[in-house]
Amino acid sequence: MQGFALYPFDPPGDVAALRAELRAWLAVNQPQGDVVARANSWASFDADFSRALGTAGYIGMTLPTRYGGGDRHPLERYVVIEELLAAGAPVGAHWIADRQTGPLIVRYGSEEQRQRYLPGIAKGELYACIGLSEPGAGSDLAAVRTTARETAEGWRINGQKIWTTGAHFSHIMLALVRTEEGSERNAGLSQLLIDLDTPGITIRPIIDMAGNHDFNEVFFDDVLVSLGALVGTRGQGWQQVTAELGLERSGPERYLSSHALLAALIDAAGADPDAAVATLIGELTAEMWTLRQLSMSTAAKLAAGEDPMVEASVVKELGNAFEQDMPRRVQAIVDCPWDDPGDLGRLLRALLIASPSFSLRGGTREVIRGIIARGLGLR
Amino acid sequence: MSAAREMLCDTARAVFAEAATAGMAPIDEAGFGLLLVPEADGGFGGDWGDVNAVLQIAGVMVPDLPVAGLIAPDAVQPAATVSLMAGAMGQALALSIEHVNTRQQFGRPLGKFQAVQQSLAVMACEVRAVEAAAAALAARLDAVGFDPAAADFEMAAAKLRANRAVGVVTAIAHQVHGAIGFTAEYELNRVTIPLMRWRSEHGNDAYWAAKLGRQVSGLGGQGLWEALTAR
Ligand SMILES: Cc1cc2nc3c(=O)[nH]c(=O)nc-3n(C[C@H](O)[C@H](O)[C@H](O)COP(=O)(O)OP(=O)(O)OC[C@H]3O[C@@H](n4cnc5c(N)ncnc54)[C@H](O)[C@@H]3O)c2cc1C
Repeated sequence: MQGFALYPFDPPGDVAALRAELRAWLAVNQPQGDVVARANSWASFDADFSRALGTAGYIGMTLPTRYGGGDRHPLERYVVIEELLAAGAPVGAHWIADRQTGPLIVRYGSEEQRQRYLPGIAKGELYACIGLSEPGAGSDLAAVRTTARETAEGWRINGQKIWTTGAHFSHIMLALVRTEEGSERNAGLSQLLIDLDTPGITIRPIIDMAGNHDFNEVFFDDVLVSLGALVGTRGQGWQQVTAELGLERSGPERYLSSHALLAALIDAAGADPDAAVATLIGELTAEMWTLRQLSMSTAAKLAAGEDPMVEASVVKELGNAFEQDMPRRVQAIVDCPWDDPGDLGRLLRALLIASPSFSLRGGTREVIRGIIARGLGLR
Repeated sequence: MSAAREMLCDTARAVFAEAATAGMAPIDEAGFGLLLVPEADGGFGGDWGDVNAVLQIAGVMVPDLPVAGLIAPDAVQPAATVSLMAGAMGQALALSIEHVNTRQQFGRPLGKFQAVQQSLAVMACEVRAVEAAAAALAARLDAVGFDPAAADFEMAAAKLRANRAVGVVTAIAHQVHGAIGFTAEYELNRVTIPLMRWRSEHGNDAYWAAKLGRQVSGLGGQGLWEALTAR
């Protein structure tokens, strides 16, 4: 792994104008949601907001215009995303479709899939979920056992996915399944785009420790989908998924999802904070600023067509650590009762409880460190 | 890196190699004191990106010589120190990787053990963070004509971030080296001791954290984001 060179973050057009335009739009259109929902921006579901955001052209920004997209530069999208997250806008409904599924369909999807799904994604009306994990396949994703068998009528799917975020409100799932009988490990896997209203699919909620219903179990019982549901190349599912995961680990959501807490801490501290609080704010700000530089540089490298797999993992690792540490450090310094009804207290409680998941979802800390170690030439 | 900067770095490596035994004289003679002086005034006309690159090399090769003081004015010495630190941390990482790939225990190179891999991944994240901070600070200084007041936020954030990385980087580098890294002869201490020193020079953690914290408190929660994105 070579030393780090900062890639210049240089979106086309007037970035300041883009920010100003979006901030003005948010001032009118962002619901005055609860502060806790703001700290959980990319998990907050709000279909009306997603539709309005799509209509305003802020979803599917990089998709081609012929499919309803904006044909904008990826770094323009980056600017929009960081503004939405910093404002704590409820982007959860369309988040995965916009970030992951849309671009993947452009890259690997058939013409029919593009025409069928992309316009809805860009409108902020069509939501997607990611079907990777299974009861026996967590960190060890190559242990996937859900099968899809090719028949004269189409693919016949049997098996189970688990921890599927948003399956209960999504229209489609991009699933990793075993299409080749007798195949093992990462060979013989393919990606299928499955309409979730297909008969034979059962979705059951799993309530998380914060009491929220975000993730689900999804059962496939002899589910029949057309042969056209295959995305990309049969048997290349593993390669397609790793590209998708690696590239989506460096986004601003890796350090900005708890931004509401930092803002609340600063506001609660006032203009003349005591020494311990000022120190904490300084330390958190330095970390956040550094993460932003790393994340922007990685996004720029990605936009330049390079593969910043290791940098992306560095952003996720440091970003997760930052977001997990922040509520713990605030709790250690700020005198705030556990059941404090104010903004700061409620945010603190919510983020302390949510934070264990940060280094699990999207690849565990240990898996991410393994990827970095490989980049260092150790594996 | 531009061709001109590559050449500058090559020169720096050659001159610093000599200076490692001869002291400052070769560095003075090679004209590094003129790096930031405009060409019109007979200088090299370099930017802070050049300074950052040269000082990263100095941080590895001549950490005990006052190269930063020769190149940069007092008011930007914290920024110069961040570059020295980034260089030294990169070297600590490189030495550690080399060591765990060659040293064998239990019949395998140490680097094949997952515990060692995970430690080095943690260290690499810190090193990348400091390199990014140094580069972003350099970009800011170049954008504002080296005016330290206009880069106060970045200088505070970058020096603080670099300081905070010192503990993790030196601890892991020494841990994976075992006893050999604790010897006077082995080269690891030539970067880890300066790292410990630089953490207290030109503002320790408490100094910069309090300064940055007070600055940010004045901005307010919303104001912080606006200030960050306006720069
Ligand atoms: C909030 C949340 C949302 C999620 N959303 C989705 C989703 O939308 N779609 C989806 O497919 N999945 C989703 N997941 C699942 C997530 O991807 C998995 O939790 C993750 O891959 C880990 O798998 P696991 O939970 O089975 O843990 P395990 O794999 O059982 O791991 C448990 C612990 O052991 C460690 N470990 C495992 N193997 C090794 C090893 N070889 N070396 C060292 N340590 C190891 C892990 O790092 C972890 O710390 C979500 C998870 C969470 C928490």
